Amino acid sequence: MKNIICSIVLLISINSFSQNFKFGKVNEEELKEKLHPIDSSANAAYLYKYRRTYFTYNENDGFVLVTDIHDRIKIYNQEGFDYATKTINRFVDGGTKETIVGLKAYTYNLVNGKVDDIKLKSSGVFENEISKYTKQTKFTMPDVKEGCVIEYKYELRSPFVYNIDEFELQAEIPIKKLVALFEAPEYYNYKSNIKGYLKAIPTKESRSASISFTNKTRTDGGGGLYPTTTQFSQSKVDYQVNISKYDLNNIPALNDEPYVNNINNYRSAVKYELSYRKLPNTTLKYYTTSWEDVITTIYRSENFGGQLNKLNYFKDDIDAMLSGVTDPVQKASMIYNHVKQNVKWNGYYGKYTEVGVKKAYKDHVGNVAEINLMLTAMLRYAGLNANPVLVSTRNNGVPLFPTREGYNYVISAIELPDAVILLDATSKYSSFNLLPYRTLNWKGRIIRENESTTTVNLYPRIKAKTTTFMNATLSEDGEITGKIRNMKTNHDAMSFREAYINRNLDEYIEDLENRYGGIEISEFQVTNDLDLSKPVMVNYNFEAEEQFESIGDKLFISPMFFFTIDENPFKLESREFPVDFGYPSSSKYSINIAIPEGYKVESIPEKVAIQLPDNLGAFKYNIIANETTIQLVVDVDINTSVIAPNYYKSLKEYFKLLVEKEKEKVVLTKA
Amino acid sequence: MKRIGLIFIFFLSFYLRGSTQENLYTVLSIPEELKQQANAVVRLNEMNVDLKSSSKMEVSVKRIITVFNKQGERNIDAYVNYDKGLGVNSLEAKIYDAFGKEIKKIKKKDFVDQSAVDGGTLYSDARVKYLDYTAISYPYTVEVTYETVTKNTAFIPWFYPLDAYYLSIQKSIYRLNNPTGINIRFKELNCEDFNIKRGENITDYQYAVEHLKAIKPEDHSPLLSEMAPKVMFAASTFTLEGVEGYVENWNDFGKWMYRDLIDGNQSLPESTITEISALVQNETQVLEKAKKIYEYVQNKTRYISVQVGIGGWKPYEASEVDKLSYGDCKALTNYTMALLDAVGIESNYTVVFSGSNKKDIQPDFASIQGNHVILSIPGEEETTWLECTSQKTPFGFIGDFTDDRDVLVITPEGGQIKHTKQYTTQENTQTTKSTSHILSDGGLEVSLEMVSKGIQYNRKYFLEAETSRDIDKHYKNRWDYINNVTIEEYNIENDKSTIAFNESVKFKATNYGNIVGDRMLVALNTINRNTYVPDRYRNRKLPLKINRGYKDVDEIEIQLPEGYNIEALPNNEVLTNKFGSYTLQIEKKDEKTLVYRRELIVNNGEFPKEDYKKFRDFYKTVAKLDNAKMALIKE
Repeated sequence: MKNIICSIVLLISINSFSQNFKFGKVNEEELKEKLHPIDSSANAAYLYKYRRTYFTYNENDGFVLVTDIHDRIKIYNQEGFDYATKTINRFVDGGTKETIVGLKAYTYNLVNGKVDDIKLKSSGVFENEISKYTKQTKFTMPDVKEGCVIEYKYELRSPFVYNIDEFELQAEIPIKKLVALFEAPEYYNYKSNIKGYLKAIPTKESRSASISFTNKTRTDGGGGLYPTTTQFSQSKVDYQVNISKYDLNNIPALNDEPYVNNINNYRSAVKYELSYRKLPNTTLKYYTTSWEDVITTIYRSENFGGQLNKLNYFKDDIDAMLSGVTDPVQKASMIYNHVKQNVKWNGYYGKYTEVGVKKAYKDHVGNVAEINLMLTAMLRYAGLNANPVLVSTRNNGVPLFPTREGYNYVISAIELPDAVILLDATSKYSSFNLLPYRTLNWKGRIIRENESTTTVNLYPRIKAKTTTFMNATLSEDGEITGKIRNMKTNHDAMSFREAYINRNLDEYIEDLENRYGGIEISEFQVTNDLDLSKPVMVNYNFEAEEQFESIGDKLFISPMFFFTIDENPFKLESREFPVDFGYPSSSKYSINIAIPEGYKVESIPEKVAIQLPDNLGAFKYNIIANETTIQLVVDVDINTSVIAPNYYKSLKEYFKLLVEKEKEKVVLTKA
Repeated sequence: MKRIGLIFIFFLSFYLRGSTQENLYTVLSIPEELKQQANAVVRLNEMNVDLKSSSKMEVSVKRIITVFNKQGERNIDAYVNYDKGLGVNSLEAKIYDAFGKEIKKIKKKDFVDQSAVDGGTLYSDARVKYLDYTAISYPYTVEVTYETVTKNTAFIPWFYPLDAYYLSIQKSIYRLNNPTGINIRFKELNCEDFNIKRGENITDYQYAVEHLKAIKPEDHSPLLSEMAPKVMFAASTFTLEGVEGYVENWNDFGKWMYRDLIDGNQSLPESTITEISALVQNETQVLEKAKKIYEYVQNKTRYISVQVGIGGWKPYEASEVDKLSYGDCKALTNYTMALLDAVGIESNYTVVFSGSNKKDIQPDFASIQGNHVILSIPGEEETTWLECTSQKTPFGFIGDFTDDRDVLVITPEGGQIKHTKQYTTQENTQTTKSTSHILSDGGLEVSLEMVSKGIQYNRKYFLEAETSRDIDKHYKNRWDYINNVTIEEYNIENDKSTIAFNESVKFKATNYGNIVGDRMLVALNTINRNTYVPDRYRNRKLPLKINRGYKDVDEIEIQLPEGYNIEALPNNEVLTNKFGSYTLQIEKKDEKTLVYRRELIVNNGEFPKEDYKKFRDFYKTVAKLDNAKMALIKE
């Protein structure tokens, strides 16, 4: 019994010894550690990651947001040196800006068995201006060696109380201990949204705080007989501070994987967003708590809903254009083309307008919001039931919770009794329900004039289809000649148009030739490239050398020739995140091969049909042959935009079989 | 009198053509041949350089460019880099539609003004003003005009009209006015090939060119900057960030740089000198000592880029690097030099153009050139070159970053052009020995030992620091012609002393042999197949250049599956031509064992464009032979 107590005491003492996270209390064990005990592949690790975000009050500025940061990082090897450079972005808006106070930083090394510390000097801290809105404070630690520990702390003071940076609970390197505190005065009510797999639940507590005001009262002396006096009095307001605290241990590193649309979607993090404010002696002001609130806030903004009500700048043009047109779909189509042709996208995303729809229309240039809100207003003006749709682009992540920042883009929707037509006029080659790739990300949110709202799936339901016909004649010396015809629809047509139109034709053909292993192309012809309502058709003649292998007296040919997929795109053994294709697709190959004279078909591969589970996809390989010709039909279908990671093994196996099948040979022998 | 008349006439024609009021703003006046392969056409680029004194230079530029598509926008060049030493006096842009109608005017204050710092740099005081314009429709024309004034006369702008691919030039004019009497040196390169016109008097420094057709990039060709016309200029008396220089040749340049930028920055704390003296005390050879010091620097420091004012040119103090343990290439090179000096080893600061495209410091034209600094230790037989910014490279190994090119070595006695080490074809080897089992179900089991040297070492040693997950991915890509590879085991050894990278790998794959009825087709080369075939060009325009040669030697013992006999084997092959050689040899060791031997040599060299097809054919043949299969038949 004694023993047990003893060992418990020992354990506790070891624990408390190795976990001294006071600034500067770096111990030998931390410096001696050669590898991360759990993740030996880690190049660096946070030994301690601390953040406290809270409010202070001062009479000039009111409440100010303060964030205390204290990181202690172990650097195991040279690859981890990147973590010895720290970049802090500071938001600036005119004279209002975020500032850094009290930066302290040290590097610790073990020198002759003793902890040696070196301080970061202020001459090693640099200020860069990245853009009008972003300043950057950057520093790199002195004397960084393999095995060292670096530590820094600072305070970031921000007047932007509505905008609290996400609390990241997971990093690209492991975190041994993380403490995060968010402390809000009762006047500000924040909603927390947590994402990622950690599912961290904060402990909640509260403390009381108070603000002292100095009140100034001037007493007029009355007729100048007595001097004017100013009296100061102090008053005090008590309030509660609500605290959420996260205390987490051993958080694994976040590893990126191929075909993940945005790794930040999967990072464990908490976002606090202001839902309402109730300052003493003021009325309650709501920000967000639900999707309805988010929608209301965005919609009522002058740079969003306000832009939908402006009509005068386009009225005359639209009236003239639509005169005599009655069919609503035709009207929509004409307006859509009018916007596409007249207002070019300047490359900036945004759900809010920057210069306003009127100026954008006049200058022929606008951001996403200007173009698509203008489009919506025009459609409404023409009597269509059109509404803006908030979108989070692929690189912005998935809006899981009601937040204003969750959406960064806006498109337009026309709601018909039995269908919804989605439109984005920023992309030249998009059309009705064919949105640019950047917007294909989960769900968008339609906002109607009465501020009711509903979600709409942004992933296309209709497949992008490519059909390839090939008629080829194989000669005795291994050359094939023939014709190829391609037909492309939807996103396949869109990406073709993006790559082809306005491009140097020779260059395009040369690229295509090289993509197919150096074939020669002639009589290249494209139809419907500019007619978005029709599939793109591509026709050409080709010649390709060395298309069989001759072994002994037999010829072996891959009947899909240069269309063969000969590599499995999925190489990792397992995967944690979904595979995101963006849109469902279907490719069909129909190939006819005339074999050389004097040869006959000895054997052909077997027919096969492979299915992915739950009808996610299918591969069909059909081949028949007679004495002189081989006919092959291959269908590859992916029926969904996103495949969940639990299907990864099946998907990898599916592609393995597909590649194997496509590489199988037809054998010809001398007749 | 006669003479004057002649000059007068010349001037007249020279300038009249420059200012003929043909409309350069409409697309209609672009000659047809300039539209071929062009993303943009420079209608007129007019640059005037006024050297006012050794510490004042004014530059004015007018550039009219028609842009055909999005790619062409990167050639508009509507930006001005500036810093504390360079002021922008005026800046304006106008946009014209296809018919030459002005549609927008952008004033100086409407240019975006921001820091020109890149992500990899800790700090830089460089700034840029640039035009942020969204095209309403293509084509359109931009006219940019600006005037700058600078105290730095070390960089007189060059005449370099064709600085990009897919860009054609209708007219480009350059003028350097030098009323100061300061000697101007200049160097013309490739000017005859492009019909560059020069002002009558050589000291007028006037150049012009018309109708340069767009060039399309092609693989395996020399750098555009090696082929394009260029006139380099330098003032013999100049100023750089307040430091005056007088330079006629590289020797002067080296003296100036040594005296004003390098010398006196080598102080070190006593403790460090003691430490390194102790470190090398048991070594007798100079290079052994130097190696210890190089490794000391590698362990102590890391590369961080900081560019401030003259700091952009002058290395940080060695003692500062000693304290901070980081620095940029100049600081780290200077620090290593100081340490070597402290133990009595001479070494020299060396200026170079870095990058795998071997770019020379122009050997016969002294001016500020280069973008990187390395260190050289002179030796009786050969010079040792040290890359001081890497913590990984072995002593004396510079790899493809700074190999085989002219560089400027700075010594107290002056500057000297030297040539860095070339890694020859015979040095860039990859030697592999393997045993490969073919299983009766078509499966494959491979074990191999691979040794890479020279540039082939260079291309692999990064693997040492990769995570096992990334190495797994790397190997799967290396053998991507085999489907379903599983890496069973690997062991990597970076032998820095002999500069060899040793890998031993075991992997397996299913369905490697292609079973067709009673037969199995098996590609013999399991471990090192060349699948690369250079792109085909319908009409190759540029010469062929192979930067570095290499040699691969492979020996594979192939064990045949139970139940199968050999039906047919590929033939032995020997190919030799000026691009290299290839041999393939198959030997039957016994009934169940084959030995496959392969050697591929690719030579470096420069060849006329007519050779490109043969070069491609060589690779094509190699790719085909590397894919040669044997047919096995069931017993």
